[in-house]
Amino acid sequence: MHVDLTANADHEAEAVAWLDEAERGRWEGYPYSGPQRQFLLCRAALRAALCEQLGCGNDELSFETSEHGKPWARVGGVEAPISFNVSHGGRHGLIAVAPSGRLGVDVEELGDRRNLDLLMDGVLGENEHREIASKGGDDQLRSFFRLWTMKEALLKAHGKGLLVDATTFEIPPSVRDGAPRGQIELPQLPGVTLQVEDLGGEDFAAALAREVLPEAGSERAASR
Amino acid sequence: MAATEERLRKLVDDNLEIEGRTPGTALDLDRSLSDAGVSSPDIVAFWKVVNEEFGVDISAEQFAEMLTPRDLVAHLDAA
Repeated sequence: MHVDLTANADHEAEAVAWLDEAERGRWEGYPYSGPQRQFLLCRAALRAALCEQLGCGNDELSFETSEHGKPWARVGGVEAPISFNVSHGGRHGLIAVAPSGRLGVDVEELGDRRNLDLLMDGVLGENEHREIASKGGDDQLRSFFRLWTMKEALLKAHGKGLLVDATTFEIPPSVRDGAPRGQIELPQLPGVTLQVEDLGGEDFAAALAREVLPEAGSERAASR
Repeated sequence: MAATEERLRKLVDDNLEIEGRTPGTALDLDRSLSDAGVSSPDIVAFWKVVNEEFGVDISAEQFAEMLTPRDLVAHLDAA
């Protein structure tokens, strides 16, 4: 589900009503307006999506955070049978929801970017780096962030995010060549197959990573 | 510590864009970069910039584990 994070006083006022007391405290504590708005609109949209999926009331829903900062949901104090993940970048928010399994999502707004060379050094494997370095201009920027969002979505599905060195694995060659999706097993997560999918649009790069579960019935659409 | 903090603030001004933050304003040393709203690409690029600027070799994992600028300043002062 895409969330429009453009500044809009009416949307923001509606969103505040969805937050619980702790979330309002967190929202009020943000020092800068951009991140404050991104948190508010994404958290309200997440609450609406989870209430719909779980058939619960907003006041029954609460969130906890894992050791590595990944949030999970409770309904009526009991862990909710649902996986979700949230990302925001600039004016774009992205929420993925699935019945179970590891799930990660990432979105980045495309635009002028300082330190692209440093970013490439920081997250790309050797083959990825060579391919992206051979491109120029907008093509290089778009191709880099297509890979970046896939790698970050995979690391969020892993559960440790940027605590894992992204240069230690590469996106499958077929996906780097343009295929919209592919499967990968991270060296840090042996025995778990993840599917990564390009969800990018005209002015943003985005990707979804989700665990390939053995039962076909449990692999229904992970994002809405 | 004050000198390191000032160098770090200048690096933030030069390398991180946060909607609503005025460059030159004091850093909140106890709020993590991600909680302050710095995007993940900017955090990764900032990790590389800090290593270059301070001549250190902090790993990606170490940098991610340093939750706040205060942690980072302490690490740099101890290096």
